[in-house]
Amino acid sequence: MPMVEPFLRVERLCKAYGGLTALKDVGLTLEAGGFLCLFGPNGAGKSTLLKVLATLLPPTAGSVRVAGFDLEEHPEAFRAQLGLVSHQSFLYDDLSARENLEFYAALYGVPDPSVRAGELLERVDLTHRAHSPVREFSRGMQQRLSIARALVNDPSLLLLDEPYTGLDAHAAIRLSRQLRLLHEAQRTIVMATHNLERGLDLATSVGILARGKLVFLQRRDQIDPEAFEQLYFRHLEAA
Amino acid sequence: MTLPRQILLLYRKDLRVEVRKKESLIAMAFFGVLIMVILNLAAGLDRRLQAEPAAGVLWVAILFSSVLGLGRVFAREKENNCVAALLVSPLSPGALFAAKALVNFTLMSFSELVLVPVFFALFGAGLQPGLPVLLLLLALVNIGFSAAGTLLSALAAGTRRNEVMLPILLYPLCLPLVALAVKATGAAFGGRPMTEIRDLIESMAAFGLIYAAAGYLLFSHAVREA
Repeated sequence: MPMVEPFLRVERLCKAYGGLTALKDVGLTLEAGGFLCLFGPNGAGKSTLLKVLATLLPPTAGSVRVAGFDLEEHPEAFRAQLGLVSHQSFLYDDLSARENLEFYAALYGVPDPSVRAGELLERVDLTHRAHSPVREFSRGMQQRLSIARALVNDPSLLLLDEPYTGLDAHAAIRLSRQLRLLHEAQRTIVMATHNLERGLDLATSVGILARGKLVFLQRRDQIDPEAFEQLYFRHLEAA
Repeated sequence: MTLPRQILLLYRKDLRVEVRKKESLIAMAFFGVLIMVILNLAAGLDRRLQAEPAAGVLWVAILFSSVLGLGRVFAREKENNCVAALLVSPLSPGALFAAKALVNFTLMSFSELVLVPVFFALFGAGLQPGLPVLLLLLALVNIGFSAAGTLLSALAAGTRRNEVMLPILLYPLCLPLVALAVKATGAAFGGRPMTEIRDLIESMAAFGLIYAAAGYLLFSHAVREA
């Protein structure tokens, strides 16, 4: 039987800043439609890994492939598959919600940016604030708009770096609901977060990064959520 | 999306923000006028300046005030880390450079619409400026300064004291262009014909071209360090 290429394949990935090694021999695979949640303390390398996956940082060694496209050989084709959400909104404060989305949609060559912006505003429930400048938005509204922005090119891989940072409980629940819908729509998602409970709730695969190494990677259905906190700290201490 | 369309898209977005906020243009024009008023008081209100010192005053006012706008145009992309979203998109870094340089060129040109008339009101007595030559000199300096300023503002954005770093890097780099501009403008104010300053104008155009080419080629490295 022929081997099916996983949607995301990371092999022996290393990233060093001068003498400081941020990622050491990280290897993982994720099937199409999978939701990988990466946990780890500050400085473990989660954001560095996501930045390498997002093509914002070049790897020192190793390889990354998404949907068969190699990051170094086909960076444009690779980027076309990507959507990136971070705790920073990537939005222009002085433009309205609609203007932001239309700008990004046009940047990706979407045929009708205005229609696409309207669809996305509706999806994140911000149609009523379409013409308000982003600077007037709450943190939760900005994060919803940020997700809409990341979806303008209909990406097959969504990268989320600490998306819950700064959100109140209500906004965090809404974000989880949005992410679940995106996952149900067969989007492949990689999320880095400190929030064990929310991460476990959404993930299909779970990884733990410590000191730049992927020290744990397992399918979510093989993990006992009650025992995960203990397992998490045990891996951090062992690293 | 083609390169010109990318440039136009970014240029329109930046101008839209600038028109809404007006922070760069007002600051540039106000600071430039202030410099000229102070220099006018220092020179003596009723004293006529020779052509070359007068040219120096004009360029000091234009170039010192321009830095206020040059720094802001790229700093805006750093707010909310929008630059990361641009780098992840299919946008060419060359298009980003060209759009930012065009915005800087536009801001400099609009502030000069205020500064040049104020200069002639304060220092114009006895000067014989040929308008086409003056416009050509302004355009050449604007091209060189906005190209170099765009590249260096991206480099400076990666440092902690970017407002301080930009002028420290920019003025020495643009010194040859500024020296040529002062010389050429002084000659033009002295009523010398175009043929006498042709060499200076060609050298200024060459510097503008070098700054623009270097900016276009190096911007992707600078912006990834930002």
